[in-house]
Amino acid sequence: MNNIILEKIARLFLRVIAVMSVLLLLRGHNSPGGGFIGGIVLATGFIYYGIIFGSDRIQSIIYFNTRIWMGIGLGLVLVAAVIPVFVGQAPLTGLWYIGEWPLVGTMHIGTPLLFDTGIFVGVTGLILSVIITIMEVLKWNT
Amino acid sequence: MILFALLLIPFSYLMLGLLIKKSGIKQRLALLFATVNFLWALALVPIVQFREIIVVQMGSWAAPYGISLVADRFSVLMLVVAAFVFFLTTIYATQSVDKARRKNGHFFFSFGILMGVNGSFMAGDLFNLYVWFEVMLMSSFILVSLGGERQQLEGSIKYLILNLISSLFFVAGIGLLYGKLGSLNLADLSQKMASATDNLAVLNPALILIFVGFSIKGALFPFFFWLPASYHTPPPAVTALFAGLLTKVGIYSLVRFYTLFLYYDHGFWNEVVLWMGGLSMVIGVIAASSQYDFRKILSFHIISQVGYVVIALGFFTVAGLTAALFFLVHNMLAKTNAFLVAGWVHRERGTLNLKVLGDMFNKSPVWGILFFISAFSLAGLPPLSGFFGKYLVLKAGIEADQIFITLVALFVGLFTLFSMVKIWMEVFWKRQPEDIAQPAPINLKPANWMLFSSVVMALAIVGMGLWAAPIVDYCQLAAEDLLTPSKYIDYVLGYH
Repeated sequence: MNNIILEKIARLFLRVIAVMSVLLLLRGHNSPGGGFIGGIVLATGFIYYGIIFGSDRIQSIIYFNTRIWMGIGLGLVLVAAVIPVFVGQAPLTGLWYIGEWPLVGTMHIGTPLLFDTGIFVGVTGLILSVIITIMEVLKWNT
Repeated sequence: MILFALLLIPFSYLMLGLLIKKSGIKQRLALLFATVNFLWALALVPIVQFREIIVVQMGSWAAPYGISLVADRFSVLMLVVAAFVFFLTTIYATQSVDKARRKNGHFFFSFGILMGVNGSFMAGDLFNLYVWFEVMLMSSFILVSLGGERQQLEGSIKYLILNLISSLFFVAGIGLLYGKLGSLNLADLSQKMASATDNLAVLNPALILIFVGFSIKGALFPFFFWLPASYHTPPPAVTALFAGLLTKVGIYSLVRFYTLFLYYDHGFWNEVVLWMGGLSMVIGVIAASSQYDFRKILSFHIISQVGYVVIALGFFTVAGLTAALFFLVHNMLAKTNAFLVAGWVHRERGTLNLKVLGDMFNKSPVWGILFFISAFSLAGLPPLSGFFGKYLVLKAGIEADQIFITLVALFVGLFTLFSMVKIWMEVFWKRQPEDIAQPAPINLKPANWMLFSSVVMALAIVGMGLWAAPIVDYCQLAAEDLLTPSKYIDYVLGYH
C-alpha cells in the first residue's frame, strides 16, 4: 500500500501510543492503569502499524522473536515474585525502595513495578505473536 | 516458599520453554524439571506430617484478604501422586509422542497442566481455584488438539465447549456466593457458613452451580459426556496424563468443597452425592462394556471409578474418606498405567480397535504382564492396590449402613472385571484375526523408556497393594483432618 498520509500517521501513531503505554504502566500501581492495559495499548499501536506496513516491519522493529519477548516477560514476573523470598518475606510481597532522585524528586521503586513490567512485555509479546501469525497466514506482507 | 516452589517449577519451565529454541534441550529440561517437581512434592510429606497444615500467604496479605496457598495431608498426597504420574508420563512421552508434536510444545503445555494441577491442589481461595482450573483447561485443550488431526479436532471441540460451560457454572456460583457471604477464602467462607446455619437454603443456588461445575470437571453422571468423546483422540501419552490428573482435580475439589461447605446441609447433599456417585459407577461400567476401542473402554471406566470415590465421600465417615483417598490414589496410578500400555499397543499396531488386535502377549510378555497388573488392579484382584481400595470402600459402606449402594459397588466391580478380561482376551490372548486387513506397523524404534515408565508405575501399583498399611494410615490421618474443618479454618486464618 502506498499512501503517504497513512504511512506518516501510522509512524506517528506508534510513537504516541508507545509513550502512552509506558505512562499507563508507570501510573498503574495507585491509579487506573498497569502492565496489562499498557501492554494491550502498545500492541494496538503495533497492530495499526502492521496493517499499513505488513508484519515483517513489526518484526524488524521489535527485533527479537515474539516468543522471546513473552519469555522475557515471564522471567521478569518470576524475578519479581522470588525477590521477597531472599529477604525472608512471603513470595510476591511488594518491596519498596524510597529514594531521592534528580529531576523527579521522591520516587517509590518496588517489585510491583518489575512485576508489572513483566506483564507489560509478556502481554505485548503475546498479542503481537497472535497478530503476526494471523498476518502471515493471510499473507499481509505486500 | 515451600509451597510456592511447586508453582515456580512449572512456571520456570514455561519461561525457559519460550526462551530456548532447541527442542532437544527443552526435552532434557522437561525431564529435569519433572524430577525436581516430584522430589519437591515428596519432601512435603515429612513436613506436613510435622506441621499438619502448611499455609503460605501470598504477598504477605493476611488470610481472608489475600490469596492463601494451603496444603494439608490430603493436598500433599494428591501433589505427590500427581507429580509421580507427571514424571513418568514425561519420560514416556519422550519416546511415545512423535517428533513434530514434541517440537511444537508438547512438554510446554504439559507443564501448563502441571502448574494448573499443582495450583488447584494448593488453592485456599475459591477464585484462585477457578483460575487454576482455567490454566489447566487451556493447556489441556491445546494438548488435545495439538497435531490437528481430524479426529482430534472433533474431540477437542467437544472437550473445550463442555469444559467452558463447566467454568461458566463455576464462576457464576462463585459470584453468587461472594455476593451472599462477601468472601472467597475457603476457610473464611466455611466459618461464615457455620455461623449462618439457620438459613443455608439461601446459599443453595450458588453451591449447586459450583457443584455442577466440579461434577463436569470430575466427569460424574450426568455430566460425563465430554470425557469419552475426547479422551481417545490425542496421542496416548496425552491421554495417560489426562487420565491421571484432570478428572482427579475435579474430584479433589469436590471432596474439599463437601468437607468444608456442603456438609452443613448434610441431609440434602448426602443423597445427591450418593446418587450421582452410584449412577456414575453403573452407567460408566455398562457403557464401557459396549465399547470396542481400547481407550474408549478405559475412558468409560474413569467415570465408573470416579463414582467409587464419590460414594465413599458420600458415606462421610473417617473410614469412608480414608477409602476415598486411597481409591483416588490407586486409580490415578492404575488408570495411567493402563493408558501407557494402550500407548504401546497403538505404537506397535497403529490401531486400538479390539477387533483388529490380537496376539500381543506373544509379541511382548512384559507389556502383557504390565497390562495385567494395571487392569486387574482396576478390577480389584488381590494383592494389587485396587483390592484394598475396593475393600476399604465396601467396608466403609457397610459400616455406614449404606447397604444398597455397597451392593451396587460390588456388582460394578464384577462388570469392571468383565471389561478388563475383555481387553485382555481381545488384545493379548486371542489369535491374530486373519481375515481383517491389518494396518502396517508405523514405528519400530526401541521403546525402552516407555517400558521403564510403565514398569515403575506397575511396581508402584503392586507396592501400594503389598504395603498398603502405611498409606492407609496416612489417608486416615488426612481423612480425620478433612472431617474437622475447624482445624483447617484455624490454620488458614491464623488462629492456631
